[in-house]
Amino acid sequence: MADLLNVSNLETRFNTREGVVHAVNGVSFSLKEGETLGIVGESGCGKSVSVQSILRLIPMPPGEIVGGSAMFQGKDLLKLSMEELRHVRGAQIGFVFQDPMTSFNPVHTIGRQLMEPLEIHLGMNKKQAWDRAVELLELVKIPNPDDRMKDYPHQFSGGMRQRAMIAMALSCSPQMLIADEPTTALDVTIQAQIVDLVKSLRDELGMSIIWITHDLGIIAGLAERVNVMYAGYIVEEAEVKELYKNPQHPYTLGLLKSLPRLDVSEKKRLVSIDGVPPVLFKKPKFCPFVSRCTYRVEKCLQENPPLMPINDHHRAACWVNPQTGKVRE
Amino acid sequence: MSQYIIRRILLIPVILFGVTLLIFGMLSSLDPAERAALYVHDIPKNAQVMDSIIDRYGLDDPFFVQYWHWLTGRVDIDTGEIEGGIIRGDFGYSRSGNTTVAEIIERRFPATVELVLYSIIPLIGVGVWLGIIAAVNHNKFIDQFARIFSILGYSFPSFVFGLLVLMLFYANNGWFPPGRISDWANMIINSAEFTSYTNFITVDALLNGRFDILWDALRHMVLPIITLSYINWALFLRVMRSSMLEALNQDYVTTARAKGVREKDVINKHARPNALIPVVTMAGITIANLLGGVTITETIFNYPGIGSAGASAAVQLDVITVLAFVLLTGLIMLVSNLIVDITYAFLDPRVRLS
Repeated sequence: MADLLNVSNLETRFNTREGVVHAVNGVSFSLKEGETLGIVGESGCGKSVSVQSILRLIPMPPGEIVGGSAMFQGKDLLKLSMEELRHVRGAQIGFVFQDPMTSFNPVHTIGRQLMEPLEIHLGMNKKQAWDRAVELLELVKIPNPDDRMKDYPHQFSGGMRQRAMIAMALSCSPQMLIADEPTTALDVTIQAQIVDLVKSLRDELGMSIIWITHDLGIIAGLAERVNVMYAGYIVEEAEVKELYKNPQHPYTLGLLKSLPRLDVSEKKRLVSIDGVPPVLFKKPKFCPFVSRCTYRVEKCLQENPPLMPINDHHRAACWVNPQTGKVRE
Repeated sequence: MSQYIIRRILLIPVILFGVTLLIFGMLSSLDPAERAALYVHDIPKNAQVMDSIIDRYGLDDPFFVQYWHWLTGRVDIDTGEIEGGIIRGDFGYSRSGNTTVAEIIERRFPATVELVLYSIIPLIGVGVWLGIIAAVNHNKFIDQFARIFSILGYSFPSFVFGLLVLMLFYANNGWFPPGRISDWANMIINSAEFTSYTNFITVDALLNGRFDILWDALRHMVLPIITLSYINWALFLRVMRSSMLEALNQDYVTTARAKGVREKDVINKHARPNALIPVVTMAGITIANLLGGVTITETIFNYPGIGSAGASAAVQLDVITVLAFVLLTGLIMLVSNLIVDITYAFLDPRVRLS
């Protein structure tokens, strides 16, 4: 199927008082129609910044998109005028944010906030927008949607807010949904509800999804392909089953090892990756993961590995094959 | 919500009662002779006059007896009628004003209210507007300019700025005179053909259909309004600017942008209502402060309001008048606090619905 979104060499940095922070360093990925792409990585590795850069939602200044392109339906989102971009935001690309507690405006009713994109993008009048918003709340399984329209965000529970957020993101039937850690702020049972909801909506509405998370467990049941990000680089990309079966980057391996597993009977301590991801004031000439890596070799300090193909559906940015411990050819 | 408002209104008399105790308590720090001495000339010769004043007004009665008399009035020995008593609206005789305190308030308070209400429009309006512009253009030229412009005003003592504008717009060309009204207009106002409905000259002039008097009254208010606004703008600009900057950094603003909301609406419909909440508190305090007496401004522009009356009463040690003015200020504070809280609830559903 055709690519819906094609991001190439996206580079975003933040000009802070302490110096230039390189948050996203030449990220390329694509999303096919109807496909779900997972982006995983720990906090501060550039997941959110890279997807927010696509819609230019990062605060500028201090943020700055230095280079790259994001082709969406033949248009480069990074080069559109603000007015053209505005008609993509919310209309063709829906966005769900991490924290449902702060993502709704506290002084407006849920209903009013839901109706807003409908009025802007679909030109609905108040009555039509209201009816459609009620339908949307029903779609995301909010009980008594007609009454709840008049509620303010603080009268909704966290899970309900996130569902309303999803309803809002999907209100204009976008071709693509970006979900930026939508379940991180929710407790586990609510997380599962939200994931199930998005899955069923995806099957019903047939949109593509980029799902950002640091929870590999969620990705396994949801996405077809996964990008693993570290320090503003994609360090591994693979189809989801391949990634779990055959991780080719020490960082992915570390993430997988830190997951509790039900299918292994022996009791073992979970392994964590020591240290924290670096804040990049300079683009490294070496592998950014080297200080935390247990597989490192001389070459890791001399050259930052590019993404190298492992097989047709799998690429990794590591000089060493962590499965065998051998340096790649 | 209405329950909350009713509870708050019922609380006002209770707090006011506490205020009266405090005010009257301060008075008792003066001994009877000191209080009587204020009304007697040439004390060594007239010592017995002082004693008779103390005796007649019960200045050596116990504190609570005096307080009770101040509240409810006291039977005059000579006439047998009840005199004084602030709950009867009798605040006593003002030595500095040569009339009853109640009359001073009735005559002068509307003048201050009029001045303050007209000042508040440019004061808050422009202050908030500049604050929003500064925040939206964070760290750009217009932001710096607005901040410098307003901080200049903030650093001006009002008597300096007041004299400056008097010099520029009155002394040189007579455009905007000081005082409250011209003599010719004052004569008409005090004549039978003019009815004073409210004691707000601008309103009364409109009601009487005298646009010449309205114009005259407005001309007199221009300079004090400019002074009050300019020296207070910085406060509103800074609070609005910082709370607007904070609001613009909130997640819900990003959400609004991600929905495709126009940047103008992101600012006006999403960020601004949230950013206004702290400004409301400050507006309430500022209005109450101004109503309590814009003493210096009124004095400079020779504007006959409550502030200049209070100042001359204080200078002349007119304790009775000062007591009444302090009480009035307390009442203004209470009422404006109530209004602030109600406005708060209107702006913030989290307050309204909890």
